Amino acid sequence: MDDIDRKILNEIQACFPITERPYKYLGDKLDCTEDEIFLRVKRLIKDGIIRRIGGSFSPKKLGFVSTLCAAKVPEDKIEKFVEVVNKYSGVTHNYFRDHEYNIWFTFIAPDMNLIKNHIGQIVRSTGVNDILNLPSLKTYKILVDFHIS
Amino acid sequence: MVDELEKKIIHHLQDTIPFTERPFADIATKIGISEKELIKRIKELKEKGILRRFGATLYHQRAGVKTNVMVAWNVPENIVDEVGALMAGFEEISHCYKRKIQGDWKYNLFTMIHSNNKKDFKKVLDKIIETTGMKDYIMLSTLKELKKVSPTYY
Repeated sequence: MDDIDRKILNEIQACFPITERPYKYLGDKLDCTEDEIFLRVKRLIKDGIIRRIGGSFSPKKLGFVSTLCAAKVPEDKIEKFVEVVNKYSGVTHNYFRDHEYNIWFTFIAPDMNLIKNHIGQIVRSTGVNDILNLPSLKTYKILVDFHIS
Repeated sequence: MVDELEKKIIHHLQDTIPFTERPFADIATKIGISEKELIKRIKELKEKGILRRFGATLYHQRAGVKTNVMVAWNVPENIVDEVGALMAGFEEISHCYKRKIQGDWKYNLFTMIHSNNKKDFKKVLDKIIETTGMKDYIMLSTLKELKKVSPTYY
């Protein structure tokens, strides 16, 4: 990655231009041609630096609720548990963490009862009883772009 | 709430837009509206706060942000807003939420702390402890990513 790559990443993380020719807009801003910016972005995708370019929506404003779940899963059950949990389309993030509550996943759905039902299903099909449901009560900060230096 | 056209637009933006030179023209064709109309509607979604951010999501480790650790804090209820605001002021903290406690789980304030290495992480953590006076915390380091997808709304 060179300087121009880093400048592009910092620009398009915060705000990808919502305009007819986004790569021309970026080119004008960073003193490059439209083609050069487009090829660089393509390369950053191919090299696995950029995961996606898209929207992050407010679940709340779309009438969805979300929560963070933590499960205490015995080692011999982890594989099966993760397989079951990851099948739910409402599970968007799942991490193996260094704690006795070792599997942490986020659940999003149109209502909390649906999530509770899904957690109940997971308990029944995996035999893992200890699952915490930790919905957020207040947000103090959400920042999703980082300055790349 | 959103109308049927907005649902179609969200459907095309919630994952990734096409990697083409004219992505909005391509999406507009799929939906059957003009590119101008699509751009106008996306900007409206942004103004209404329904679209929080429209941009690139990176694989952070490969982009140079090396460590991210979730740290959960046990903060007395009467000062949680004050401590939450202090935590939010740290540039190394990307997410900060108050969460419901339950069962044997007493940690109510969740933070995501980003740093370039373990040494930097320790420095940031020390600084947070010094600033907030909070000492009862638990570190939840990621050992492995098991799933990461964008939510599918429509």
